[in-house]
Amino acid sequence: MRSDTTAPWALLCVVVALIYLFSLGPILITAAVSFNETNRSLFPPRGWSLRWWARAFGPEWTQPLVFSLKLSTLTAVLSTVLALPLAFALHRHRFPGREAMIALALGPLMLPTLVTGVGLLQLFQYAGLREHIGFGALLAGHLVICLPFAVRTVSISLQTLPPNVELAAASLGATRWNTLRHVVFPLIKNGLVAGAVFAFIHSFTDVNLSLFLATPGEQPITVKILAFLEFGFAPTLAAVSVITLVLPLVLVAVVERLSGLGDFIYGERRA
Amino acid sequence: MNDHARTATPWLLIAVPAAVLLVFFVLPNALLLSASFLKTEAQQLTNQPTLDNYKFLLTRPLYLEVMLRTLVVGLCVGALDVLLGFPLAYFLVRTKSRWKGLLIALSLAPLLASVIVRTYGWYIILNRFGVVNDALLGLGVMAERIAFMPSTGAIVVGLAHALLPYAVLTIMGSLGGINPNLEKAAMSLGANRTRTFLSVVLPLSIPGVVGGFILVFSIAISAYATPAILGGPATQVAATAIYNFMINLLDWSAGAALAVILIVSSLLLLYAAARMGAKRAAL
Repeated sequence: MRSDTTAPWALLCVVVALIYLFSLGPILITAAVSFNETNRSLFPPRGWSLRWWARAFGPEWTQPLVFSLKLSTLTAVLSTVLALPLAFALHRHRFPGREAMIALALGPLMLPTLVTGVGLLQLFQYAGLREHIGFGALLAGHLVICLPFAVRTVSISLQTLPPNVELAAASLGATRWNTLRHVVFPLIKNGLVAGAVFAFIHSFTDVNLSLFLATPGEQPITVKILAFLEFGFAPTLAAVSVITLVLPLVLVAVVERLSGLGDFIYGERRA
Repeated sequence: MNDHARTATPWLLIAVPAAVLLVFFVLPNALLLSASFLKTEAQQLTNQPTLDNYKFLLTRPLYLEVMLRTLVVGLCVGALDVLLGFPLAYFLVRTKSRWKGLLIALSLAPLLASVIVRTYGWYIILNRFGVVNDALLGLGVMAERIAFMPSTGAIVVGLAHALLPYAVLTIMGSLGGINPNLEKAAMSLGANRTRTFLSVVLPLSIPGVVGGFILVFSIAISAYATPAILGGPATQVAATAIYNFMINLLDWSAGAALAVILIVSSLLLLYAAARMGAKRAAL
């Protein structure tokens, strides 16, 4: 008895199609609006023009975009570098305070990022660095909010490590370093890459934290868009939005091809 | 692995990450907590302890309304996303389509877009010269244009759209754990489809439904961008009010107190979620 040939299943398919329309419609509409001839965000687009796209690739928008890419790449690399020893210690060792360390590592996932952003701003103010927020402050904040994603993903890959490979390597005479380098690392490499990708995306799409730590000269693309919205919704924004959507999409597609992300999504996103 | 227990290895491994988290996560949140019990005078934080910030927030109708609106938005968005997420998750778990992988990817793709990108589409749809207005005018349902935003309803729709993938993922997790043979068994014992769904599938998927609701709720009550874009000064929520206190009014104490209220409510919820078994131990 195949379940996908019955009437209730057909009804479900219709409902699901409508939900996909709700979910993807606004994003497709945004993409369509960027081709408007007029300077208003109209749908269906009136006329056909690429001038908003030309403007989206001008320095006003590429500068914050490049800033975002730098910030998110550095965040992804650093949070994976920090997550590896942390996940390793939590997975391999039983030490006093381990539970507290787990809570601390996942804490930024529990508290609203907006609140962490406000707190960091206050911290920099107290430290007399209020005038120096920008890239450094943003990096510190992004590192903290992206770390849980990297820790979780790296932990999952450590858990899937066959338990005896290290003993086997050691019994064959490999040093501790060589075991890590030639046995453990290749086996958890995909987990590290997936952790870095999740951290990158979380950082690249963040608004709530960046909002408080950005300066006019040093702002990620999301904050720039939000600031620009106060002056209205020009089709340029639609074009910029599509660019910021396509970049992580391409990243995920490429990484999925090269090493696979699917295994980590459940462990990753299921909160 | 007992011989590791007494060595310094774990401490060396966690030293740097722990330091980063203590300085850039624990310390800022502690500062915020302390600021909520201090007085702000002439836009400067003083050292005088006080409970006035909380009293101020809990007695002004304006801020009570902000908190109430935040709560209502969170509840509506949570309910809407569970209602929309359940059929989608059920479909994705049970479908035998060869496009299954693509369909799952499509349902999660919005997670890759910033909330701002996801909200922008709703502006195009809901504003006075937007898609909905054009359609309703064209159909002759309305005589003149109506602004559907800024409004609380627009915030709810925008957030429900932005957070749907979280509900889908959480519900898929619990539906995926249900053995399909249970349904076949129920039906072979004479239960019809409705009965099977109501007394087998639904009860078993409750942890996912509750977990999805709470996850969506806790993200929705602290969201800034969507309420900032689709709402206005008359439809403030907690996050936009905190921003206003901190950046425009420079009233750190009141902003911090509101942030603490937000943290406490969201932590209580996550604790409730953990108690209901919806949260899986991650490590």
